[in-house]
Formats: sequence, C-alpha cells, structure tokens
Amino acid sequence: MSATAYPAECPAGRNRLIVLMLLVPGLLALLCTFLLPMAWLARASLSAGGMTAFGSELTLANYRAALTDPFYWQVGLNTLWLGVTVSVFAVLLGYPIALFLARTQSRWRGVLTALAVAPLLTSAVVRTYGWMVLLGDRGVINSTLAALSLTDAPIRLSNNSLGANIALIEILMPYAILAMLAGFGRLNPALEEAAAMLGANRLRVFWRIILPLSLPGVLTGALLVFVLAISSFVTPRLMGGGRVFVLGTEIYSEATVTLNWPLAAALAMILLGIFSTVIVLYQRALRGLEG
Amino acid sequence: MADPHIIVEDLVKTYPGAARPSVDHVSFALPRGEMLALLGPSGCGKTTILRMIAGLIDPTAGHIRLNGREISQIPVYRRNMGMVFQAYALFPHMTVAENVAFGLEMRNIPKSERAQKVARALDMVKLGGLGDRRVTQLSGGQQQRCAIARSLVIEPELLLLDEPLSNLDAKLRDEMRDEIRDIQRRTGVTAIFVTHDQDEALSMADRLAVMSAGRLEQIGTPRQIFDAPASEFVAGFIGAGNFFPGRISAPGLAEVEGIGTLAFDGAGTPGDAVKLMVRPHRLKLAQDAAPGPNRFAGQVEKVTYRGQILTLAVDVAGRRMLADMHTHAGALPQTGDRITLTVAPVDVTLIGGGGA
Ligand SMILES: Nc1ncnc2c1ncn2[C@@H]1O[C@H](COP(=O)(O)OP(=O)(O)OP(=O)(O)O)[C@@H](O)[C@H]1O
Ligand SMILES: [Mg+2]
Repeated sequence: MSATAYPAECPAGRNRLIVLMLLVPGLLALLCTFLLPMAWLARASLSAGGMTAFGSELTLANYRAALTDPFYWQVGLNTLWLGVTVSVFAVLLGYPIALFLARTQSRWRGVLTALAVAPLLTSAVVRTYGWMVLLGDRGVINSTLAALSLTDAPIRLSNNSLGANIALIEILMPYAILAMLAGFGRLNPALEEAAAMLGANRLRVFWRIILPLSLPGVLTGALLVFVLAISSFVTPRLMGGGRVFVLGTEIYSEATVTLNWPLAAALAMILLGIFSTVIVLYQRALRGLEG
Repeated sequence: MADPHIIVEDLVKTYPGAARPSVDHVSFALPRGEMLALLGPSGCGKTTILRMIAGLIDPTAGHIRLNGREISQIPVYRRNMGMVFQAYALFPHMTVAENVAFGLEMRNIPKSERAQKVARALDMVKLGGLGDRRVTQLSGGQQQRCAIARSLVIEPELLLLDEPLSNLDAKLRDEMRDEIRDIQRRTGVTAIFVTHDQDEALSMADRLAVMSAGRLEQIGTPRQIFDAPASEFVAGFIGAGNFFPGRISAPGLAEVEGIGTLAFDGAGTPGDAVKLMVRPHRLKLAQDAAPGPNRFAGQVEKVTYRGQILTLAVDVAGRRMLADMHTHAGALPQTGDRITLTVAPVDVTLIGGGGA
C-alpha cells in the first residue's frame, strides 16, 4: 500500500550525480561532432569571401550576397517546392502501407514491416542510379515504350525535376512509413468499433476516427521527409542532370567547385533557418492536433 | 414472457483455429425493459456473446432475434444498439459533447436538435457543464458517464455494457452501480451487461445468466439463482456454500456420510446420489448438543470478524464448514470451542432440484 521507499544509501542527490555522469560521454560526443562544427560553420558564414582561410573581421557580406541574388531566391523556392511535393507524395503513397501495417492482425506483420523499410538497407546513391537506369532517355521505360512503338521520341523522365521528384519520393518513402507507424499510437480498434456501434459505416469511421487520429503520424512523416528532401543533394544532382538547382546542390558546388566556403556556409545557415522554422510550425500543429 | 424483446437461440461461436467453441449453444430471451447480467468466470465467453449481439463478430451458428426479426445479417452500424466498452473507448480527439453527439451526427439529426439532445443526455448522467471538456480531462467515473450518455442518446434498441465498472475504485463502483440501474429504469431501455462480480450481478440485474466454459449454466431472477441453483458450479459462483454429497433415503431426506441425515426442501427420488447445499448465513448455533437430523457437531477452527457478521470455519467430521453469525447474537464462539450448528429443512437446497 505504501509507496516504495528509495533505499537509504542511495539518496536523490547521488542519483542525480550518477545521471549527470552517464550523460557526459553522450554530451561530449555531441559537442565534438555537432555543436563545434555548427559553431565553426556559423563563424565561417560571417567571414570575408575567399577559400578556406578566414580573416578575423566579421561581415554579413555572404548573407547579403545570398539574399540579394535572385538566383538564390529561385534556388530557395525550388528547394521548398521539392520538399513540399516529395513529402506530400511520399506520405500519400506511404499512408495506406503504414495504415495496413499498423492495423493488420497478420502474424507476418513484423516481416511485412521489415520489407516495407528494407530499401533503407541500400544507399540512396545506389537507388538513384537504379532510377537513372529506369527513367533515362534510353532507360527501361523509354526503350519499352519505343519498342512497342507507343512513342516517337523518349519522354523526359530524368535530367529534370520530375526525375528528381520521382527518385526522392521512392527513396524517402520508407522514412515516411516508419515515422507514421511510430505516430499511429492513438489508433485503437475499440474506437473504430465504438464509432460503428454509433452508426458510422466504414467510410465515416475512416474520416471521423482513423484519419484524425493518424494525423500526428502523418505530420511526423511529412516533416521527416521534408527535412530530408530539402537537405538532399546527391539525388537532385544525379537525377537532375545538373539542371535542378536546390540549396543542397548549390552548397555542394560552392564548397567543392567554386571553393567559396563562406558563401556555402551562409547558404547552409539559411537552410538551417528553414529547418528550424518548419520544426517550430510542426510542433505548433502537433499541439493543435493533440489538444 | 409473452413477447421477448431479444431472443438468442443456439448461439455458437468458434474462433478460427480454436479447438472448442468459446460460446456453445447458448439460448435465452429477455423481455423489453429488463436488465440481464451475463455472469461467469474469466474466459467463459461473456464478451463474445455481447459482441455477437452487437454485430462486431459473426456467430458460427445460431440466431439472434430482435423484436422477432433475425438480425444476424444487419451490419453493426445499422443495428442501433448502444455499447459501453470496458475501457469506455471515448474518442480522444473530441470533446465530451462531440463524443455524445457523434451517434446523432451519424443519424443526420439537425444541429439544433442534436445540441438539445446532447444537453439532456449530459444532464441525465450529471455531466452538464462539462460538455466542452476534452475527454482526456475527465476522471474515470466521468468518462464512464460520458460513455453511457453517448450510447443512450441515440435511443438504442438495446444497451450493451461490457464490465462497465471494472475500471473504477470500490466506492465509485457502488455509486455507479446504482446510477446505471437508475438510468436504465428511467429510460426503460433493455440492457445486457457483462460482469464477473456476483454482487454487481445480484444487485443490478432483473435476470441473471450464469455461464461456464461457453455454456449457459442457468438463467433466472437473482433470487432463483441464489436460492435454487441448478448446479454446484452456479451455487458456488453465486455466494459461498457448504456442499454435501449424499443419497436420498426417503422423500425429503438424504443420508450424508459422516454427518447423518439431512432433511431438505423438496422430495427427490429415493436411491439417487445428490448434492445438497447450505448457505453459511442460514446456519444457526444450537443450544444443546443432542444428536438428530440437520445438526452438525464440530470444533471451531477459525473465526473471522467482518463487522456485522462473524464467519466461523468449523471442522465437522473432517469436513470444513463455513457459518455466518450475526455479531449481536450474544456470546460468540471462540477458536477451539466445540459447537453444534443447525439448519432448517427449508434452508437445505437440493442442487438442481428446481426448488422454491
Ligand atoms: N479474437 C479471439 N480469437 C480467438 N479466441 C478468442 C478471441 N476472443 C476471445 N477468445 C477466446 O474465447 C474465450 C471467451 O472469451 P471472452 O472474451 O468472451 O471471455 P469473457 O467471458 O469475456 O472473459 P473476461 O471475463 O476475462 O472478459 C476465451 O477462451 C478466449 O481465449
Ligand atoms: Mg470479457
């Protein structure tokens, strides 16, 4: 009946010390691999242009250069648009799969879930090359269409933003499925039964119960895919054939081709700003959903 | 029962892959406005019966008739039954009022009428004023009332309750017991509720169905079940009892080994092996130790004080008997005392004998 007492020799103060000590390795790793590089990046974005040697003076010139150049505004819009289309389609396509996996009573459920996320076992680069083989002008789809004499000229499925979208949607869908599964905790068969008892047919059960209760998962899946999509550069670069300009590809080329590290750093900081804004909006929305 | 509201006939449910049926040829009928308790130990198939009536699972065989009409083919959402789930199953993304209004909305009742009905239903369960709360902000008892309001506001043909009180603490359970009974009487809705608590069943139900391992052991009024149990299982499940195997020697008399002759209420067929039962509270202390029928001489092994009553465990010829004494009965026996207990023949029940 009485609450379990803590053993006398282990007072709360000592517990706290142990907790702190256990946190130290993780915090150190985070500091070295994340916080210090981020600080370095922020510092670099405030340096005068040049290669990798930064002067000591601080300047906002890089941000000014990025924010006054219409090209970078276009790149920013491209990035956001890519993020939106990829997350919308990845979630739309992944939702039925995630819902099925969450609700099935099958004993193969574990295997099916593993299958759904198995593409994560191969690298995004490999899968991008796979899509190039499929979607290229002389790829599987176009040569099949040509062989059947259905088309005169190849349909442009790659080397443009359509190809980048298709490949990114497929590559990121497993993340969407995983995130949605994790966010479907409030789905409960008893609620569906209660709704049916109150007169809701299957369609209305879906609209009024399943959909609203699964929205937090949908939101989480969309956020994850959005963040991964706007920070991607391998897939947009390869599938876009150099014709798709997004922040990821531009940061990459500023850093490795033009060798303007301060500008690359400023663009990265802007991307980081977009991330933060999206995450704040996401948390607002989630709180609204869960009341 | 001239015109039963609901009739269940030879209902069978065998879950896929199960070796034996979970519900095995169960039949009963219930008149309009009555409350039936389905009582039995865990796993005996109570929930399964309720879910078949609700239409949430399909029977393997048998019929369910409502107002004389077979309903097995009617889908859940057209059966117009209210159900209170064990864990309430309130919609967490809606307010209390929205939960209650859900069924009305599904019936396309206009908004103003809906609001009126919801307000009335919430008042009935004493939740008036809490309509705008999130259901996650309600206490257990309030959630339960909300679930009841939600299932009654649609004016259901039948109200089904699956262990509606099992998530509440003892005090609240007593309160809600009376309240559910009261609401059911006032609305006149025919109700079936599942429980494995005999007190709950005895105090709430007009009619009681005792189940064991998928079969219906007995159905009757609480009084019939308590005083004239059809089997030792029923007798033991509803209240405590002292059981004696015996053989009928003459109409109304049975010989019990080690005890002697027991006179009981009824006749029986001489020569039959039978079971007799005496409820602990029907035993009385004898003033003298003279031998005779319906007397049990023994030694008190244990005394348990329970407020108004005292339960004695008495060793009678190697058999442990329980006897309840009122604590105002003067000098009370102590552990180790030799005592003699008596019982009137009307209080000795022949199990399965039909009885009073
Ligand atoms: N979905 C199912 N699949 C297979 N077997 C089931 C299923 N549901 C119940 N059973 C089995 O059917 C039997 C009856 O179950 P039921 O839930 O009706 O019992 P109950 O009387 O309601 O028990 P409790 O008091 O514990 O709720 C049990 O043996 C149970 O294991
Ligand atoms: Mg049950």
